[in-house]
Amino acid sequence: MSYFFQLVVSGIVVGSIYALSALGFVLIYKSSRVLNIAHGQIIAAGAFITYALTVWVGIPIYVSFLMSMVATFFLAMSVERIFLRRLIGEPIISVIMVTIGLMSILDGLIYLTPFGTENFSFPPFLPTEPLVLGGVSISWTQLMGVIITFVLIGGFSWFFKKSTVGISMRAVSDDQLASMSIGISVPRVFGLAWATAGLSAAAAGGIIGNITGLNFDTLHAYGIVVFPVVILGGLDSILGAVVAGIIMGLIQQFAGGYLDGNWGLHGTGQVLPYIILLIILLFKPHGLFGIHEIERV
Amino acid sequence: MASNRWLATGNYCTTYGEEQRIFATSLDRTFMCLFIVILFAWPLLFDVGSKYMLVIDNILIAVIAVIGLNLVTGFAGLISIGHAAFVGIGAYTISSFATVLGDRHMFITHGWPLTIVLAGCMGGGVGALVGLPAMRLKHLYLAIATLSFQMIFEWVVNFMDFFNQGQFIPVGRVHWVTGEVGRSDHYIFWYYVILVLVVLVSFGVRNLLRTRYGRCLVAVRDNDRAADAMGMHPGFTKVYAFGLAGFFAGVAGALHAYLSRGVGIDSFTLHYSINYLAMAIVGGLGTLNGAFWGPVAIKVLDLQVERLSEWAGNHLTTATNLTTALRPLSFGLVIVLFLMFEPRGIANWWRIARSYVKLWPFRY
Repeated sequence: MSYFFQLVVSGIVVGSIYALSALGFVLIYKSSRVLNIAHGQIIAAGAFITYALTVWVGIPIYVSFLMSMVATFFLAMSVERIFLRRLIGEPIISVIMVTIGLMSILDGLIYLTPFGTENFSFPPFLPTEPLVLGGVSISWTQLMGVIITFVLIGGFSWFFKKSTVGISMRAVSDDQLASMSIGISVPRVFGLAWATAGLSAAAAGGIIGNITGLNFDTLHAYGIVVFPVVILGGLDSILGAVVAGIIMGLIQQFAGGYLDGNWGLHGTGQVLPYIILLIILLFKPHGLFGIHEIERV
Repeated sequence: MASNRWLATGNYCTTYGEEQRIFATSLDRTFMCLFIVILFAWPLLFDVGSKYMLVIDNILIAVIAVIGLNLVTGFAGLISIGHAAFVGIGAYTISSFATVLGDRHMFITHGWPLTIVLAGCMGGGVGALVGLPAMRLKHLYLAIATLSFQMIFEWVVNFMDFFNQGQFIPVGRVHWVTGEVGRSDHYIFWYYVILVLVVLVSFGVRNLLRTRYGRCLVAVRDNDRAADAMGMHPGFTKVYAFGLAGFFAGVAGALHAYLSRGVGIDSFTLHYSINYLAMAIVGGLGTLNGAFWGPVAIKVLDLQVERLSEWAGNHLTTATNLTTALRPLSFGLVIVLFLMFEPRGIANWWRIARSYVKLWPFRY
């Protein structure tokens, strides 16, 4: 039974990271209807900036964590300003392709740095002794990661529900024309949505980097694995991203814990999210909490 | 009809039939015949060496795959981020025959025209299966569906013993009427096979686009509700588009398997899917000649980047491998720059150049 609870705990840890990664993705989709395929690269960039500031510059990790969030805030904002701004109103196919192109560009830029090919790991700054509760162990880094994730998700939810900028973002996602007519600058909202997404991506990157170590392949894979999460939760729902993230984390851990090694199966945790994605697309394409768009002629 | 049909300054069609012709003017047809003759004749006159012959073969294979991608993404307007997986389906069909029958079995070495068609059908079937969500969904969700198909494909190949876990699976040399195609003739032989297929496929597609089965793709892309009202079934049309794209991808994959005399997962990863998309976009989505420009442009760019990073690697002392960095960087830049400044691709430059020549010296 403790094996089961161990899987639940690690599922929640992985799932909360998924939730945080998916959050940024949903933010961009919700406000500007852009499918950001380059999200994994922004996550990786956030993690690498945190590492560079902590280890190479020597700033305390809490400060560098915040600084990397600020850095990706501006990185994502400039990405939107340079590449996406001039594509407003273009067919959706061009917009998706531009984010694919961006993914390639960021890949290339990261491969120019040592991070592209080598593995790094953060210096331990928390007690390395894992916390054991009733036979279930959780490391301090994981616990810290989960706490930070939930604090951030709470913060973002508050930001969307109450702050003026958040309300204008929701207004733009609902109806661009109407929000323009009441004086909201739609391009500025798009920029801010990208910027907040970049901020959450850096946070996710920092947490993943601390838990699993810095490897470019694993880090940017989060940008792809985020797709099943957002489809399950509904592409435009923040609550959906959180719930689906945790469900997906649990599914992956249970698949890895119970299916692998039996019946000649290996690595099922990697493929199950995509199979679920296809099934959801066939039967319930708008996910758990997504808005079902009704088209009228 | 103009009195001198060779020097007409414009195309004046008086019947619908004339508007639908494959070649707008006789001059076009003559040039195309000449071009095809040159394509067939030049290897007899020049010897470019097997390294460049391999590049040319790969470009032509990519042309077949990109024609398929162009059908689904350009003409039917459905983004497919899993095209390399469809190509992989074709290649792994051949490798499955090789694994089950042995890689020097008669079926593979003598029956290769049949296996190539079978690989195409396999690709088409899987394409239609993956396209099934298209019955209900729009482009954005479809892009995600094809992406997840790419991931599932990679997983299946990487984790199954039948596919040698993504490692190289050899495929035997083929036989022609003159006997086994040896090492020295290998690339030339496949150049001609692929060239014949490219000509067949492009004329087939050009013809398809004149019939209702091709025009319904464009109709559904432009406005699926209007197409529905005109009596087409948008869902089936989309599934059919995916099936068609899968067929061409499967043929390309089979050719790839025979050309490189084996199959490994390295050539069918997500990176290659993006590569095919880049080719389609750089060439020009929704144009048939774009499917030729794109692969040529991207492969030439690739060669130049390789040469540049080799040159830079000799002069700089860096630990990082410049090719792995510069290749995605140049790809991404090319995609983004084309989308921002020339969304209609190289095919548009070709169109401009053609109309310049055609109207010369009476430009306006």
